[in-house]
Amino acid sequence: MSGLPVLSLLIFLPLAGALAVSLLPSSRPGVIRAAALGVSLATFALSLLMLPGLAGLGSTGAEFAYVEQASWIPAFGITYHLGVDGLSGSLVVLTTLLSWICILASFGPIQARVKEYFVSFLILETGMLGVFLALDLFLFYIFWEVVLVPMYLIIGIWGGADRIYATIKFVLYTLVGSLLMLVAILATAFAHQAATGSWEGAFDLLALRGSVGDPTLQVLAFGAFALAFAIKVPMFPFHTWLPDAHVQAPTAGSVILAGVLLKLGGYGFIRFAVPLFPYGAQAFAPIMVALSVVAIIYGALVAIVQTDLKKLIAYSSVSHMGFVTLGIFSFNQQGVDGAILQMLNHGLITSGLFLLVGIGYERTHDREIAKMGGWAARTPVYAALFGFFLFASVGLPGLSGFAGEFLVLLGAFLASPMVAGAAAIVMVLGAVYLLWMYQRVFTGPLSPFLDGLGTHLTDVTPTEILTLAPLAAMIVTFGVLPSILTSSFAQSVGTFLLYAASGVQP
Amino acid sequence: MSELTAIAPLLVVLGGAMLVLVSDMITPGRRYAPVALALAALGGASALLLQQGGANASALGGAFVAGPFVAYLGLLGASILSITLLVAPDHLALRRYPSAEFAATILVALSGAILVAAAADLVTLFIGLELMVIPGYLLAGFAKRDSLSTEGAVKYFLLGSFSSAILLFGIVLLWGSAKTASLDGIAAAFASGASTPALAIALAMITTGVAFKIAAVPFHYWTPDAYQGSPTPITGYLSVGPKVGAFVLATKLYLVALLPLAATWMPVIALLAAATMTLGNLVALTQSNLKRMLAYSSIAHTGYLMVGLVAAGAGERAGISGILFYAAAYAFMNLGAFAVLTAIQGAAGATTQLSDLSGLGRRHPGLALLASVFLLSLIGIPPTAGFFAKTYVILAAVQAGGWVALLAIVAVLNAAVAAFYYLRVIVYLFMREPASPGPEVATPPLLRAGLLLAAVGTVALGLAPTPWIEAVVRAIAP
Repeated sequence: MSGLPVLSLLIFLPLAGALAVSLLPSSRPGVIRAAALGVSLATFALSLLMLPGLAGLGSTGAEFAYVEQASWIPAFGITYHLGVDGLSGSLVVLTTLLSWICILASFGPIQARVKEYFVSFLILETGMLGVFLALDLFLFYIFWEVVLVPMYLIIGIWGGADRIYATIKFVLYTLVGSLLMLVAILATAFAHQAATGSWEGAFDLLALRGSVGDPTLQVLAFGAFALAFAIKVPMFPFHTWLPDAHVQAPTAGSVILAGVLLKLGGYGFIRFAVPLFPYGAQAFAPIMVALSVVAIIYGALVAIVQTDLKKLIAYSSVSHMGFVTLGIFSFNQQGVDGAILQMLNHGLITSGLFLLVGIGYERTHDREIAKMGGWAARTPVYAALFGFFLFASVGLPGLSGFAGEFLVLLGAFLASPMVAGAAAIVMVLGAVYLLWMYQRVFTGPLSPFLDGLGTHLTDVTPTEILTLAPLAAMIVTFGVLPSILTSSFAQSVGTFLLYAASGVQP
Repeated sequence: MSELTAIAPLLVVLGGAMLVLVSDMITPGRRYAPVALALAALGGASALLLQQGGANASALGGAFVAGPFVAYLGLLGASILSITLLVAPDHLALRRYPSAEFAATILVALSGAILVAAAADLVTLFIGLELMVIPGYLLAGFAKRDSLSTEGAVKYFLLGSFSSAILLFGIVLLWGSAKTASLDGIAAAFASGASTPALAIALAMITTGVAFKIAAVPFHYWTPDAYQGSPTPITGYLSVGPKVGAFVLATKLYLVALLPLAATWMPVIALLAAATMTLGNLVALTQSNLKRMLAYSSIAHTGYLMVGLVAAGAGERAGISGILFYAAAYAFMNLGAFAVLTAIQGAAGATTQLSDLSGLGRRHPGLALLASVFLLSLIGIPPTAGFFAKTYVILAAVQAGGWVALLAIVAVLNAAVAAFYYLRVIVYLFMREPASPGPEVATPPLLRAGLLLAAVGTVALGLAPTPWIEAVVRAIAP
């Protein structure tokens, strides 16, 4: 495999698949579905084949594997530069996994304009993989923006009643942040050109890390990057697009949004913002920590009072993603390990919850908590699966959600015990809103609304179990053995901490 | 290079215009023959321009300097005309407007644009400008039985000639102050950068005149009416051709003759740029007629181009190359957008309301897809021409540093505002149910070719910008 451009294949396989699917006749939705699933499964397989190549990274001294670099726009030193390490590798596998799960989970719910849907989804996959694999800032930015368009269409065409408002809000929020990031990228590149006298490497992450000297530029550029990433994560107070987007998006859209798109922000902090501008990051750290704690508590409190299942989980995302940023800006091994674990776990667990809400919606066409009750009596398997993912989300030890939050809290405690104390309260709040929701929806006597559905209220189908089973298996595996993951990205975390520490002194 | 080869492209274009008219006298009323003749003339001129490429050569007693700059802009002009000539004839024929006059008129306009690009002194510059804009007045009134078109044309003509007069006043004052009409001579005369009262008045008048021509705020009022009234493919041409030409004029005046006085004019242009972007975008938000929306969006794009002008004034060569790159990107994406509008006006008397596009993605997926490419490029989403063009101009502003960098931030925030109204069009294309009865869509083969050309340009400049970057850098090499 060493001679092949593995990463390019990985990125562009879904795009090629999208092209192929777009040529299929619209009158054959079955063929289109099968083709899209086939392409996404092939991409998943390719991403798994890539993993063994990452094993030797630490020992050989190389930071990235499967590196590809080709000149693209030589006038400004912009290159097509790709590479993968433990951090991006695990996120890539998360992306390819969730992509085929989403495509499979869309077979039933998506009945209109099937071809356009799967084409959009495959283009989206290309964009997401590109973001995780790009090592050139310009290339990274392009993939970052490319992600927007298919997501805009997925929410806007196949979403709920208020889909257009939600999707435009989503795009505009993201665009404001990313455009300022573009200015920061250009300023950084130009500063490099002015300092070295050449455009060589001016957009290259590896050349730029540690070379941005000007403290003012560091602070301003970090601010711009942080805004773009904070909107994507989303951090309080930039989160208001998220509940709208989640509620209006079709199930698979919500899954990919929570599972991967939010991670783009966290990944951006770890890979780009902090290593490029460590001084700026240290200057902003107190604000970032404060906003993270606010997000953790605020997200949980707002989740408690939600009456819509999807909205409840959307706000729980705000809370859970707060742990990610809290961990990153603790700037210590435990915190960052925890942040990355939390990203992966949130990707697995919340995706599962959104899938389950979608499965329920298919049967009831409603998500109003007040109308539910006693669901477990009718569909025991569904209730059990929901319970499993719910407990994982609460952070039950033994399931993967626990390890991430625990490590983040440990990291935060080492950095500032008070912050950790505040965040720890939320472990309790999380249990409150999730368990209370579960109690209202699944236990007690069967509600008249659910009873009225009669035989429509069926239990999960084998296909639906197939979408949930891989997630559940990974949640258990990583819950028992989180070290599989932490050891895989140990080197990435080490590099991150090295650069973060260099920012203490400008 | 002899004098004749230097001016040969100009002669071929003018000759083409004459030939089109003569052929129309012999066999009147033909739909495609004049277009074929005009395209042949453009092909010939392009071949000559490509040959010139390399070194500068002067002709007409030093008033006309051919070279890579002229070659680049001439080729861009030929592309603009080619797309327009492909898109327009069927639309015009359906409404019984003659295509020969149309083809001849825009060829004359191109000869004016070439003259502007090649001008080395104020007189040639002004003659070129008039030769370029007078055909524009004719074209704006092309639908002479339509009162909206006549109103737009009269407004355009009155304000246009008024601004030409103001510009001419400024040029005369400049000439008098410098005691030479040569652009390089003026720069040498004011090399100290010191300003006099006469020069200040000259600057104010030139800025007013130029602002009219490029449709910068607060001198933009004629654009929406002129654009809305004209037949759609002509609007497409008007929104691109004269604007690009006027920016060439602006670069000649500000970045050659008046460069030593940059410190004086930069703040004014910067302020106008910020106002133009912001007002253009904010008003575009409220438009429900697509032509008016694109008119205001073209005003906003004027603002982005002016950012390049300011950056170049601050000494960044990337500002000029940014303008040239942006001009090409803008030409392809805007002509493409208007070509789509032309296609949905398959019936005489069809409107261009936003609601006409409802559900076009269902009925005509190919056309809707192309429309989305042009719209995404107008927003500046990668990997399209519009994205790289914006990046180029913003990079120049960031390089210039200081307060010019703030202009870059104004520009990107504006791009986010603009995203709203462009995305709204995509909402209508794909997220609304088709209107019944929907608009009659006509895509004759020529229109398809024009659409394809615009789309190829829009995508190619984004995916593989390198050849174009090299071309613009060569075009401005001293």
